[in-house]
Amino acid sequence: MSETSNPQLRARDDIVLKVEHLVVTFDVGRELVQAVSDVSFDIARGETLGLVGESGCGKSTVGRAIMQLPPPKGGKVIFKGQDITQLEGEALRKTRTALQMIFQDPISSLNPRRRVKDIIAEGLQIWERPNQRARVEEVMEAVGLDPETAADRRPHQFSGGQCQRICIARSLALDPDVLICDEPVSALDVSVQAQILNLLEDMKARYQLTMVFVAHNLAVVKHISDRVAVMYLGKLCEIGSVDAVYQHPSHPYTQALLASIPELETSQEDAIPLLQGDIPSPMNPPSGCRFRTRCPKAQAICAQQEPAMQASPSGIGDHFVACHFPG
Amino acid sequence: MTDSQHQTQQVPLLRVEELTVRLRGEAGIVHAVSDVSFQLQRGQTLGIVGESGSGKSVMARALMGLLPRRATHLMEGSVSLAVDGRVLELLKLSEREFRTLRGPRLAMVFQDPMTALNPVLTLGVQIAEPLQLHLGLNKAQAMARALELLTQVGIPDPEGRLRQYPHQLSGGMRQRVVIAIALACDPQVLLADEPTTALDVTVQRQVLDLLLALQRERQMGMVLITHDLGVVANRADHIAVMYAGRIVEYAPTSRLFSSMRHPYTEALFKSVPRLSDPSHTRLHAIPGRPPQLIDPAPGCAFAPRCPNAQQRCRRETPALAQIGDQHLHACFYPIGSKEVGA
Ligand SMILES: Nc1ncnc2c1ncn2[C@@H]1O[C@H](COP(=O)(O)OP(=O)(O)OP(=O)(O)O)[C@@H](O)[C@H]1O
Ligand SMILES: Nc1ncnc2c1ncn2[C@@H]1O[C@H](COP(=O)(O)OP(=O)(O)O)[C@@H](O)[C@H]1O
Ligand code: SF4
Ligand code: SF4
Ligand SMILES: [Mg+2]
Ligand SMILES: [Mg+2]
Repeated sequence: MSETSNPQLRARDDIVLKVEHLVVTFDVGRELVQAVSDVSFDIARGETLGLVGESGCGKSTVGRAIMQLPPPKGGKVIFKGQDITQLEGEALRKTRTALQMIFQDPISSLNPRRRVKDIIAEGLQIWERPNQRARVEEVMEAVGLDPETAADRRPHQFSGGQCQRICIARSLALDPDVLICDEPVSALDVSVQAQILNLLEDMKARYQLTMVFVAHNLAVVKHISDRVAVMYLGKLCEIGSVDAVYQHPSHPYTQALLASIPELETSQEDAIPLLQGDIPSPMNPPSGCRFRTRCPKAQAICAQQEPAMQASPSGIGDHFVACHFPG
Repeated sequence: MTDSQHQTQQVPLLRVEELTVRLRGEAGIVHAVSDVSFQLQRGQTLGIVGESGSGKSVMARALMGLLPRRATHLMEGSVSLAVDGRVLELLKLSEREFRTLRGPRLAMVFQDPMTALNPVLTLGVQIAEPLQLHLGLNKAQAMARALELLTQVGIPDPEGRLRQYPHQLSGGMRQRVVIAIALACDPQVLLADEPTTALDVTVQRQVLDLLLALQRERQMGMVLITHDLGVVANRADHIAVMYAGRIVEYAPTSRLFSSMRHPYTEALFKSVPRLSDPSHTRLHAIPGRPPQLIDPAPGCAFAPRCPNAQQRCRRETPALAQIGDQHLHACFYPIGSKEVGA
């Protein structure tokens, strides 16, 4: 596969994380699934990048590839100027402490046999950091857990929302630069979801975090992100600031995603055409533009030629779209 | 109004009165459903909204006669279904009697389509089986009807699909098949328990639109259970909000959204992230979390999280009371009442 050009990568000196031509494949039986195909984006210091798309489009795989869990098949992950896909052993493990990840199912990502304070202190112990106890108490308080009552308890004594707080505290203990959140509120009730989203915003400000926020709920992503990247079948379709992507969605897929959100206001249903059919199998993606089998605007060229990333017709800065007929 | 419509206004299709269900849980008796009452007319959709653990699924399973007897500590109240001019009291039925109702009278769509399907049977067999059992069709007739149903729920290449197994379908397709099975015997009442929670947003909307279209076409009564107010906002005729096993507010949908009175309804409404809000808008979280339903404390279950709570709320349990045309709530100090201090 030939590499595409990447006009969406920004020439700024405060880029903390840059992903270039990322490719991740999985062996499924005798076949090879390309879960992520040539994805590139960057994140500036203090930014939150929202990553959206339907189930199976490769969002989590991108998140894990950034963490080198496992290292991607192709492409670069440049963290603070260094391509970490080239790192191994101790150097990689050390760099990973600066990149932390939290997941959708907080309960199963905590060891049920360990006490909360030990779970949070784990990284501190491995890296023999000083003042471990004080640091554990600091982050527990930050995430709204009372060290007095919570430190000696075990995960099963907490609700899903509380467990997500524990996971967040654990991820913050080593003072990371980047926090990758993979659907951190999808399994939570709306009321608790709002608590955790507010908490993540607070933590970002308090610890100067740069974030990747993976989710399929576009309203949630809008609330927390500065920029948004939309994925479809392992490809990036559109990327831009929240305002650009939500006010001027330029890719037919982004438009369809936005149209399908259930809204609270009891307005009558709008006339935007809904997506028909299901996402095709990634084993055997459509030729040309991968969205063409569901796209209301598809033309002959869409089957022949893969659309390259180009500036969006919105005219808004740093807004890019991969479509032959954007707008 | 035609005569038949007039009659259905008189006798509701489904009437639930003071339904109370207590289950034997690992940690004690769970007060899963308490004093729930509502009515459902033919051709109407009732939305039931509440957080996880608020008793929605237990209530739905109770109506379907699907709660395991061994786990049921107590089941009280009345559930009556109008069937061919008679009124059946469902809570008094034996399992055998219930079995004849499931399919042609009452049907349910569950959250996870995979658990509702048998992984080792083809879709054709799974759809045709209830048709043979309940409607006495022969195999060929049942298969023909199965094909028709798959077409109705919008499955492309339905003939090919009849020979496939559940794992060969995407989540959205599986849920369509589950809907086809639920509708196979033309039920009068459809209980849809979070039918789209496990699906992607784009597919969610397709499946919800499909359910509604079929409900209208067949004039079924539908109970649409969800934790997402957005799902029922444009779709239900009435909405019941559940908290800790009780209905705390009930109103016609537009009225609920325009003049909600229960503090929990409002809190739930405000905590939903809106697409219309600018990025980084602070969300209105509800402090704390829903109560355990074991040994419930006296008083209003929402009191520990309620901004309007006062002394009385911790002593007495507010009853669901009528406050306007078809609008009920269970609260001592509802939104907009004078007694609520600043
Ligand atoms: N370990 C694995 N082995 C084989 N295939 C995998 C593996 N992990 C992911 N995949 C495949 O890679 C693709 C992308 O998966 P991924 O989990 O990244 O999607 P996602 O966008 O995070 O979806 P979701 O919204 O469901 O979490 C899918 O087709 C998935 O089936
Ligand atoms: N089979 C069961 N045995 C004991 N407790 C149960 C059982 N099923 C559900 N519960 C409990 O009943 C309460 C209500 O559950 P449920 O109806 O599933 O909630 P919802 O559907 O609103 O999320 C919860 O506390 C749940 O743990
Ligand atoms: S390239 Fe063609 S098929 Fe793809 S999104 Fe654009 S118009 Fe649709
Ligand atoms: S009864 Fe009291 S605690 Fe309960 S919702 Fe009303 S004001 Fe709040
Ligand atoms: Mg994922
Ligand atoms: Mg449920």
